[in-house]
Amino acid sequence: MLMCRDLATIASDYLDGELGATDRLSVKVHLMMCRNCRSFIGNLRNSAALIRAHSSQTPDPDYLRRLDENIAKALAGKDRDDPGE
Amino acid sequence: MHIRETREPDAGLVARLKAGDPDAYREAVRRYTPGMLAVARYYTDHSSAEDIVQDCWAKVVTAIQGFEGRSGLSTWLHRIVANRAKNTLRHRQRELTTDFSEALDPDLASRFKPNGRWAVPPRMTTSESAEALLENGALSDCLDKHLSRLPEAQRSALMLYEAHQRHSDEVCNILDVSASNLRVLLHRARQKIFLMVEHFQESGEC
Repeated sequence: MLMCRDLATIASDYLDGELGATDRLSVKVHLMMCRNCRSFIGNLRNSAALIRAHSSQTPDPDYLRRLDENIAKALAGKDRDDPGE
Repeated sequence: MHIRETREPDAGLVARLKAGDPDAYREAVRRYTPGMLAVARYYTDHSSAEDIVQDCWAKVVTAIQGFEGRSGLSTWLHRIVANRAKNTLRHRQRELTTDFSEALDPDLASRFKPNGRWAVPPRMTTSESAEALLENGALSDCLDKHLSRLPEAQRSALMLYEAHQRHSDEVCNILDVSASNLRVLLHRARQKIFLMVEHFQESGEC
């Protein structure tokens, strides 16, 4: 029988749809009976969403400008080297 | 469940890059640099990762002519960064601080009784969306701090999979980890963030 500790161990696999049919069913049955694990799974799902929402930030604008300048130089150099391309 | 990115949103961008259009490069830099930095960070520290990504963009200017579109543009860029980072750091020992045999974070593992039931169950009761939670600036700062403290391997796997929505097999390929080790990296990182948010909501402290 699947215990809470087992469920916590495979919780991400469940959330990402990586479990086989038998394990998936065991998790679902356990979740129906266990409020604590429902809370854990819900919060773990929320953690993943939090990471996604938080990480859509852009890198440092100064760094991006440096990349632009560097690419502009490379493009200019390429034109000089390969006028035919 | 969210939908992973399966194809590039803009095939026309590749044609413009091949033509050497500076605006196309500005657009591509802003779209793909975060993912490229996440790949580089798997191998090295922040400042070296920035250098590696900068070198790669300069190389892309000529290498793009050989891009045939068999993979997506971002996959291609990620591979360039991974190869470059591996070559640069060949002589350095990579620090891998994740124990792949342990899928449970030790701080979470200690919250179960010997019979496998919860001894200290989850205390969060929030039903707020991630976006609503992030409107709390202090929580957002705390998340920053904890993400930057994750072992690099966990952090990069997490960034590529969650933030940049890459497929598992692509993340494995780029980071050179097995599928089962990637599962452990992702699960360990999510547990850390779960524990962080729980502590923050209880105490109001990071």
